[in-house]
Formats: sequence, structure tokens, C-alpha cells
Amino acid sequence: MSSGPLTLAANDGIVAEMPAVATRRGGLRWLLSAVLGDRRLAVPALVLTAMLLFAIIAPLVWGQSADAQNLVASLQAPSLAHPMGTDQFGRDIFARVAEGARISLLDGTLIAVVGALVGGLIGLVAGTIAGASDTVLMRVMDAILAFPPLILAMAVTVGLGVGLRTAAIGSTIVLIPWYARLVRSDAIRIRSLPFIEAAHAIGASRKRIIFRHVVPHVMPTLAIQISAGFAYAVLLLAGLSFLGLGAQIPTPEWGAMITDGLTYSLTGQWWVSVFPGVALLTTVTAASMLSDRLRDVLDPRSSGRRG
Amino acid sequence: MSPLRLRSWTGRTGDGEDELAETPAKHDDAAGAGGSLALSVRNLRTVYELGHATVQAVRDVSFDLRHTERLGVVGESGSGKSALALSILGLLEPPGRVAAGEVVLNGRNIMGLSERRLSSIRGREIALILQDPMSALDPVKTIGAQLQQAIAVHNPQLRRSALRRRAVELLGEVDISHAERRLDDYPHQYSGGMRQRVAIAMALANNPKVLIADEPTTALDVTTQAQVLSLLDRLVDEHRAAVILITHNLGIVSEFCDSVSVMYAGRLVESSSCEHIFMRPTHPYSEALLRCVPNPERLVEGPLPAIPGFPPDLSALPAGCTFASRCSVGRELAICHERVPSRQVVQGPVGDASVECHFARERAAGAPR
Amino acid sequence: MSGVVSRRLLGSLGAIFGASIIAFVIMRVLPGNPARLILGPLAPRSTVHALNAQLGLYKPIYVQYWRYISHFFQGQWGYSYSEGAQVRTLIGERVPATIELALFAFLITMLASVGLALLVTYRRRPIADRIVRGIAYLGFGTPPFFVSLILLIVFFSILKILPGPEGRLGAQVLPPPAVTHLYTVDALLAGEPGKFLEALEHLVLPGLALGMANFAFLVRLLRANLLEVSREPFITVARGKGLRRWTAFRRHALPNAFLPTLTAGGLVLGEFLAGSVLVEKVFNWPGVGSLVYEAILKQDFSVVQTFVLLSAVMFVLVNLAVDLLYAVIDPRVRVKSVTTA
Repeated sequence: MSSGPLTLAANDGIVAEMPAVATRRGGLRWLLSAVLGDRRLAVPALVLTAMLLFAIIAPLVWGQSADAQNLVASLQAPSLAHPMGTDQFGRDIFARVAEGARISLLDGTLIAVVGALVGGLIGLVAGTIAGASDTVLMRVMDAILAFPPLILAMAVTVGLGVGLRTAAIGSTIVLIPWYARLVRSDAIRIRSLPFIEAAHAIGASRKRIIFRHVVPHVMPTLAIQISAGFAYAVLLLAGLSFLGLGAQIPTPEWGAMITDGLTYSLTGQWWVSVFPGVALLTTVTAASMLSDRLRDVLDPRSSGRRG
Repeated sequence: MSPLRLRSWTGRTGDGEDELAETPAKHDDAAGAGGSLALSVRNLRTVYELGHATVQAVRDVSFDLRHTERLGVVGESGSGKSALALSILGLLEPPGRVAAGEVVLNGRNIMGLSERRLSSIRGREIALILQDPMSALDPVKTIGAQLQQAIAVHNPQLRRSALRRRAVELLGEVDISHAERRLDDYPHQYSGGMRQRVAIAMALANNPKVLIADEPTTALDVTTQAQVLSLLDRLVDEHRAAVILITHNLGIVSEFCDSVSVMYAGRLVESSSCEHIFMRPTHPYSEALLRCVPNPERLVEGPLPAIPGFPPDLSALPAGCTFASRCSVGRELAICHERVPSRQVVQGPVGDASVECHFARERAAGAPR
Repeated sequence: MSGVVSRRLLGSLGAIFGASIIAFVIMRVLPGNPARLILGPLAPRSTVHALNAQLGLYKPIYVQYWRYISHFFQGQWGYSYSEGAQVRTLIGERVPATIELALFAFLITMLASVGLALLVTYRRRPIADRIVRGIAYLGFGTPPFFVSLILLIVFFSILKILPGPEGRLGAQVLPPPAVTHLYTVDALLAGEPGKFLEALEHLVLPGLALGMANFAFLVRLLRANLLEVSREPFITVARGKGLRRWTAFRRHALPNAFLPTLTAGGLVLGEFLAGSVLVEKVFNWPGVGSLVYEAILKQDFSVVQTFVLLSAVMFVLVNLAVDLLYAVIDPRVRVKSVTTA
């Protein structure tokens, strides 16, 4: 909405003068008020909060265990006793989906945060120090980016040994260059802003400039990207587990649960796979929506664009 | 002389007197053809419906354009000038739409015609030049292709070779050297001024009798502005087209136009001949605008004045006169904040003006400013 | 021009080199025992030892790397012990099925994303716009294997209008005479419309599942680009010349909006490569993806290793091709590169 005849209230300064409006962007308080003050953010934030509460509370209050088998009650349709039905071993799917929420939310967050920290640091170093370290670091990042993400994560789990932990490591490695590039380009942009050059001119140290000026300006971008990275990490983990490379039997990871129920789904017992799948897509969709809307709110220039 | 220097209509210098004497004859065939109008706009109302608010971009605007007349529409950006231009051509995109009114072009109302009928009129009877030459040409098509498209769309019988010949001619007409070779260039290989000349060539390709130029020189540097304006001046004369020149630059109006309408908050608040407005600006807004123009003769008087305040929000217009809160005359007066001024035709020292101000009569008769 | 081309080529070579080192480190150096990885947990110790020697694991690491990379580019991709065949043969047999599926998915993805992006930007219907954006979000958030599952439940189990997970053709149907190895094309070439429909029916659901993520991505990109471009003054100018709105849109907005989406070519391919592993499994599609999946199940990692590096090479090459194509198509890049040459 920035071009065309819609800027009807604008004033062009040739005829009338316009006061300089200085809006401060950046800073934690500004971030908070921007997030809380926006209605469009409420829906995805609410969904994610609900999912988080579900993950924390449901396993505590729900009487049934995620692992307890009961072969007499196998493959039962959703009912009051089993709101999401039971699987081929008679395990309660509701309990398993809740347990899976704990895994996905926790691991997804860990992957996104670790990836952001490592990638952010690499980007910061590359973007502020420049020179040889920049070249070397970015070549390494390019090499990682030369793989389709899921396939690199696959390779890592294959090489390091199958399991949830290696799957998480693989997913983190995939996310790192993504953050690094973002932060690097942001850091380079900020470094060339007049006020940084002014700070240089009055003799501020590089360390001071980085921590006082560059880091605070990079934070909003990183905040947005953590929620996008979270969505992607949850998706990657589920994909790896679906292939049998991530969580192993009988861990109730959503992707693994979908694999488990695959054969039953086509013979009428749809609930075995569909409920973990719905939980997965709700979480990922809400998180990616959140990151999109955060970007719109925090950075109006990029609204509507992606990629 | 530079077309951008504001002529001294106040007659304070001898130079100005000469021009004043000469200028009314500048396009006197305009007056001669007064019987038939090239374009007549009646009660045009344009709104942008933004969901939470309705922005009234053009509010009940009427004016006439005689054959070969040159009308300047002046106002701040956001006053609805561009919306007016797009509304006349039927080129508004949603959420904008024409809510009411008539646009009579060569004797027939074109408002509400189908896109098919309208597209056969656009470019042939009425054409458009836009402000920004950087974005007015498609960056991935050659200049030649875009010129030829303008010709071909109204001359489907022409063959490729004929189209190309005509395109070369057109480029030559707007003073682009090596036209034959430069036809296959892309827009980014042209300078801003050249691009704007291409835009003029495209607009005049089918000899339209009405040309709407929306800030045609604003995005150019001063020297280029002068060249483009004098080219436009020459070509419009040759093609005997009438022009609506939309601008916020009164210097350009004084140089180029016969008559002028001042637009404020979606309305034409003062319409008159150029002579009138420069000599006796009657609406306080016109006067304020005029005072803001840098004038070498006034530099000694101190810093360039500005109009205090901002134009009103077009989605929540105040009661009374929309200019009242910024007006040097009516800021404190109850009548200005309560009653909408009606349109009055007043007699100034150099002809009539139609003005929307409660004090139009007094101000028109008052001392020269 | 040549300057840009050689710079891009060099960059791509560098990326492939870097990727090969990463793949080498991950799959040959980090695992304690690559031969065990390749042979699986059940192989006798002596075989493992022999393969380790054959892989050159007792030689210096740069020699190992050189063997690894030169063998890869010579097409010596090793032997699959679980399948009892050369990896190259196995992949060669499976490639046509994957290509047919990916092509089909690409076709419907493009048609759907261009069509829907046009619908919501040209007609400016806010409700349709919301629906398309909603689908795009869901498409991004839904992993391909879950899309496959839902499609199967709806169209096979419930509606019973499309075939289930039985691969490229029904159990009783023989493949058409092999020319291109793409069953739909071969069926048409052989003049067997029934078989063509059969092959097409089997393509629909896996194609949709594979294309979903790309569709979600492309439709959003195109929609945003089209909205932006359609506000450009040159569209208004084109209409001012007398072009009808649709003509102006088609001739000026579409090419300008489409050009930037070319850069997404690499992403699209990456999605297909990864997606094929996830989707083919569900549909029992006899392509490279299910080969890789089976190899993972059997812990037969020579196939996986090859697939990983092969994907990276293809990924880099497609990105290179897109860059070069972009330079050819977009006059702004083209001329810039001419002047720098």
C-alpha cells in the first residue's frame, strides 16, 4: 500500500513543509508493543499458545499413558474414552499426540534457537569483520546451501547414526546458513548507515559498535526468523522421523506416528495417522503465519513479499 | 528563456508587461473554437473504498476543456489530481471507483462504457502521459515494441514494416537521434528525459485531440524539464491537441497553460485564466500556493513561506470549508468552519474566475496582491 | 556476457566442491565405520574389513577424498548389497518413474499457481484471495507425506474415484512399449488411449502431493509479484494506449511478475527431490525416492550416499541454469553483463 493513488494523505513538501517524523524502530519494548498491538498476530499466537499448553498440561492430567499397550482395545475409533481413538497396539492416540507435541515443540524450539545463535554469530562475524573470514564462512554456508534441505538432514542422520538427536543436529545444520545469510546482509546494511559511520568517526570501538548498534538492529529480523525456523524445524523432524531416520519406535513423534498408521488409514482406521498429522500442520502453519505477520508488522517494506 | 521561470504576471517589471500583452494571444484559436468542447467533465465523484473508510478523492468536480485549450490543474499531492486524471480515462483500479458524474468527450458521454469501447477511445481520442518515466515503460520490452504497440492497437491493418517505420518517425519527432538504431534498446538504456520523450511519442502516436499529462516533468532534473516541456509545447501545437496538465508547479502552469484550476481536497476551489490567478489569486489557498513559489524577485524578502498545517483527511472531511483550518482569512471565523462555501463567479481585473470561498467577491475586488 | 557466465560457472563449481567435501565428511569420515554403514549390521566382520580396504580407508584422507569424488563423477557409485546390483543400474531403472511424476507435478503446479494468482490479482476478489492465501499457508505447513495420506483417504478410500497406492499402473496392466519410459507418453505413442488414462489416473494423487509445497510457494510469490507489478505505471500507460485491461495484464504484468519466480527454480527442484522420497513411499511409486527409502530401511547406505551428492550437484546445476537463463531473458541483466564483458 505504499505506491499509487492510495497515498492520499501524503504531502510533498514543495508546497507545504512537513515536520520530520522520527519513528524509532528496534528495541525490545517497541517489539513487544508492536506484537501485542496487532490483531493479525493474535490468531497464530493464540494457536501456538494453545498447542504449548496442550503439550504441557495434557500428559499431566490425561490418565492414560502414551506407551501403554492394550491389544484388546486396538484400532478403536475415537470415543469418549479415547478422543482420538487407539492404534494397532491399543495405545491411546490422544496421549501420544500430546506427548508428540512435547517432542516437536521442544526440539523445534531448540533447533530454531541454536540455529539462530550459531547462524547469527556467523553472519555477524562475516558481516562486520569482512575480509577473509567473511569469504571462508560464506563459502562454507554456500556449500551447505548446495543441498536440498531435507536431503542434507537425511545425510547427517545417516552418517551420524539414526535417531532423534542426530535428526535434530541435521536440521540445525540445515538452518544455520539461512540465519547466517540474513544476519550478514542485515549487518552489512547497518554498517553502512550514516550513524554507524559517524560512530566510527568519533572513535567508537568496533566491539562497541557491534554490540550497541548492530546487534539491536539485527534482533527483530532474527526474532521473525526464529519462528519461521521453528516451523521448518518441526517439518524437517517429522519428515526424517517419517522416513525412519528420526524418532525410533515407540517414541510418539508425529511423523513417526503418521508412518505407523499409514496402512490402517486406507482400510478405514484413518484416525491413527490423521490426528498427529493435523497437530503437525496446525503447529507449522501457525508458526509460519506468525513469522509472516511479524515481518509485516516489524518491517512494513517487505509486506506481501517472500523468498 | 527557461520555461520554468515564473512569469511576472504582477506587472512589476517591464519585461512582465510585454509578456502580459502578448500572452492572451498565445492560443487564441482556443477562444475561437469556443462553441464545441473537446472535453467536458460534469459532477465527477471518485472514491476509494478501503473497507474501514471511504476516501473521497474527487468531490463533485466539473470543468470544460475547449479544443486546443491548455488547462493546468494545480494542487498539493494528495489533493486528488491523479485520481481525477485516471477517472476521466476510466483507468481507476479497485478499490478506487467513479461514484458519479459524466465525462463528455467529443460530444458523447464515455462514462460507464464497456472496457472494449473505452479501450478503442483511449490512445486514439484521449491519451495519457504519466509522471515517472522510470516506471512508465515496461522494463522487459524494447522501446520499439512499446511504441509499435501503441500504433498497432488502433491500426490493426498495418504490417510490421509499416509499424516500424512509423515508430522510427515518432522517435524522430521527439528528437531522439539515431532513432532507427535506438528502437531496439530497452528502457533502462535511455535517460530519464529520453524516456519521457518516448512516453510523449506514445501518447501522440494516434493523434489524440485530448492529452492528459500527469506531472510530466516532475521526476526530471531542471534542464531536462525545460527540454521536455518545450518539446511538449511544440508537439501539442502541431497536433492541435487540448491538454490537461496536472502539476504542483505553478511555474510550469504559467509557462504552458491558458487556464488553471486549483484543486484542494478533491475539489476545484478556483478556476480561471492564467492571467487572473497570477495577478489576483482569489481563493486564499491559491494565494498561499503562489506565495510558496520560489521567485527570484522575492528572495530578498526572507525564507520561502509554507502553508501551515496539513490537507484534511479525505476519509473524514471537516464541516464547512475544507481549507478553513489552514486559511489566513478564515481560520478564526465561524462561518468558514460551519458552512460549505458555494461556487461564485467573480469579476477580477483580467476576466472571470469561479471560486469557492465565502469571501470571493471581496477578495476579487480587493487590492492586487 | 562471457565474464558473467564464467563467474557463475566458477561459483557453481565451488559450491559443488564444497558440497562434495561436506558429503564426504558426513558420510565417510564422521561415521566410525563406513563399510559397516554400507554393508549393514548383519555383514560378517571380514567383509567389512575388506570393503574398508577397498574404500581406501587405510589411506590418507585426501587420497580417500580423491577416490570418492573421482569415482562419483565417473559414475562408479558402488554396489548395493541389499539389492545385489550396481547403484548406477538401480538408479537408472528408477529414474523414469520419478521424472514422469516430477514433470506431471511441475505441470499442475505451474498451471494452478499461475491460474490462481491471476484470478486473485486480476479480478481482485478479496474472498478468493483469502482462500488462495489460506491454501498456500496450509500447503506450506503440510508435509508431502501427510498430503498424500489425506488425498488417498479422500479420493481412494471414501470417494473411490482414483486408484490407491499401487504404483504407476494397475496390477493387471502391462506397461506400454518403452520409448521414453514415461508411461503416459509411451501409451500415446503406441496409440493406446486406455493405457494413457490408466497411467494418468495413477499420476494424479502423487502429483498433487508432490506439487503441493511448490504450489504453496509459487502461488504466494506470483501473487505478491503480480500485485506489485499491476500497480506499476507502465500498466496504466499500456491501458492508456488503448490496450484492454486483460491485454495489458497479459503482455506487461505477467512477464514482469513471472521473471523473478525463475529464481525459485532451484527451490522447486529441491522440493521435488526431497518430496519424491516422502511421497513415492506412500504411493509405492517405483522411483528413485522409494529406492532411497527402501535403502534407508535396509540400512544400505551406498544408495543414500549417491543420492545425496547427486541431489546437491543437480541442485547447483539448476540454480546455475536459472541464473544464466535469467541473464538471457531479463534485458537489464543482459545488457549489464554485456558491458562488463
